[in-house]
Amino acid sequence: MAQRQRPRCSLLDSLGEEIVRIVTPVSICMLLVVILVSVLNSSSSSSTSVTTIATIAYSETDSDSSWDKFVGALLNSLVFVAVVTVVTFVLVLLFYLRCTKFLKFYMGFSAFIVLGFMGGQVSLFLIQDYSIPIDCITFFLVLFNFAVVGVLAVFMSKMAIFVTQGYLVVIGMLVAYWFTMLPEWTTWVMLVAMALYDLAAVLLPVGPLRLLVELAISRDEDIPALVYEARPVTDHDSGVSSGNQRRVWRERSGSAALNEPENSTDEPNPNPGRVSVSNVETELSAPLIEHRMNIDSQETRGEDDAPGENLALEGIGLGSTGAIKLGLGDFIFYSVLVGRAAMYDFMTVYACYLAIIAGLGVTLVLLAFYRRALPALPVSILLGVLFYVLTRFVLEIFIVQLSSNLLMF
Amino acid sequence: MEASQSPTVDRQILNPESNANSIASVGPLWPTVDGPLGLSEADAVTYARRFYKFGFALLPWLWAINCFYFWPVLRHRRSFPQIRRYVLGSAIGLTAFTILLCSWALTFAIGGESLFGTSWNQLVMYNLADKWGLTGWN
Repeated sequence: MAQRQRPRCSLLDSLGEEIVRIVTPVSICMLLVVILVSVLNSSSSSSTSVTTIATIAYSETDSDSSWDKFVGALLNSLVFVAVVTVVTFVLVLLFYLRCTKFLKFYMGFSAFIVLGFMGGQVSLFLIQDYSIPIDCITFFLVLFNFAVVGVLAVFMSKMAIFVTQGYLVVIGMLVAYWFTMLPEWTTWVMLVAMALYDLAAVLLPVGPLRLLVELAISRDEDIPALVYEARPVTDHDSGVSSGNQRRVWRERSGSAALNEPENSTDEPNPNPGRVSVSNVETELSAPLIEHRMNIDSQETRGEDDAPGENLALEGIGLGSTGAIKLGLGDFIFYSVLVGRAAMYDFMTVYACYLAIIAGLGVTLVLLAFYRRALPALPVSILLGVLFYVLTRFVLEIFIVQLSSNLLMF
Repeated sequence: MEASQSPTVDRQILNPESNANSIASVGPLWPTVDGPLGLSEADAVTYARRFYKFGFALLPWLWAINCFYFWPVLRHRRSFPQIRRYVLGSAIGLTAFTILLCSWALTFAIGGESLFGTSWNQLVMYNLADKWGLTGWN
């Protein structure tokens, strides 16, 4: 008698696997940024602040009072959020006018800039700090290889999944490291401002990200953007199902990915003029903007399955054929938060890491519940900032007292 | 029963791959390391060829990615002969380039000033970075 095969993976297994597949790269990115921050900042002074769009309104100096710093940081953040909003609207417009090629070209270009120039600068920092005797020919050759293959990985949708994911994590790490170079108050206020912006942009009906997602859904197209896609958890029952499971989730609409609006003809960093910096900043803010976090659950199976069947088999939406997508901006801002926490002490790093992962878990649960594009920044960032403040001002004193009196630890 | 089975056993021992091939009829089903999520065989030939050709633009890392991506092709002989040509070429190119690059880099690093003289200081990266001001974060 023919028996219906029971699923070998329970819902918990597939759900756990999905969550692990998105938490792992986020954790790796955060770990890399923390390592970079602690290795590079301990040797050099971190007082050099970058002049960028994010510090255009106010440059923090050590002599200002806290209130001045706060107001200055607020101004900076408002300017930054305004720029991000404008750029995102430009992106929506370009997407509406079907300038997909331009957007993809832009994506590849900014990936090249980030990997080539920022990657180059970070490696130069490391080389200088540790006096690694590498010569210029080898260095430029390796950097060239790294950047070009990275652009290919980001451009082409058919590169090895592992390579694409690795490069996305590296891009997130480099941009996040760059952001940790901003002054302290500006960083924290900007993080909160971006979390609120994300909330507004994704959930409000006039929000640019919501418009983008709805456009993509109505056209059933994929937004050309830097988005991290986790590998889909395959149901062991269906196994190698009909034909090629060609990463069909990419073609599905509802992928809330941010695109990168790009407007700068960016200059490479060797030119230390102000202009080049602001250009780089625009460029980099574009990826940030683009990488808004819209976590989306893709419920696609083979192209030939009827949508109804999919939903019937899907259960709670984080189904076995879906793949979770997380925008690269989420990676970046989480890592910025943890990187900034690392600049104070490792205790804040642990606290913020736990807060962010908890926030990510909450967002994933909400995603399963609502089954639409959701902002991934607000919960994690707000929890992270709260935990940072509590740890730095309350917990640390407590623990230090206990440890120095040998009561605990 | 046993007599009829032993030739099969002998064949299995002698030619495990051909046996696997005859069982699965093509060896590995998917040419890429991603399996069913990766490329189909027809697309794979185009991609392997493109990676191989682009690698000649001083991109050994692209050759390495090519070998990684088409690892099942490299591992199972006699599968996907068209793809295998390019992947093997990439592997050979990668090995040659890496040996050259590593020998140059190690000579430079270990030889140092005693081998190169003053030109070592002109070639080393941290001096050049200082000279050109590459790490001024402006």
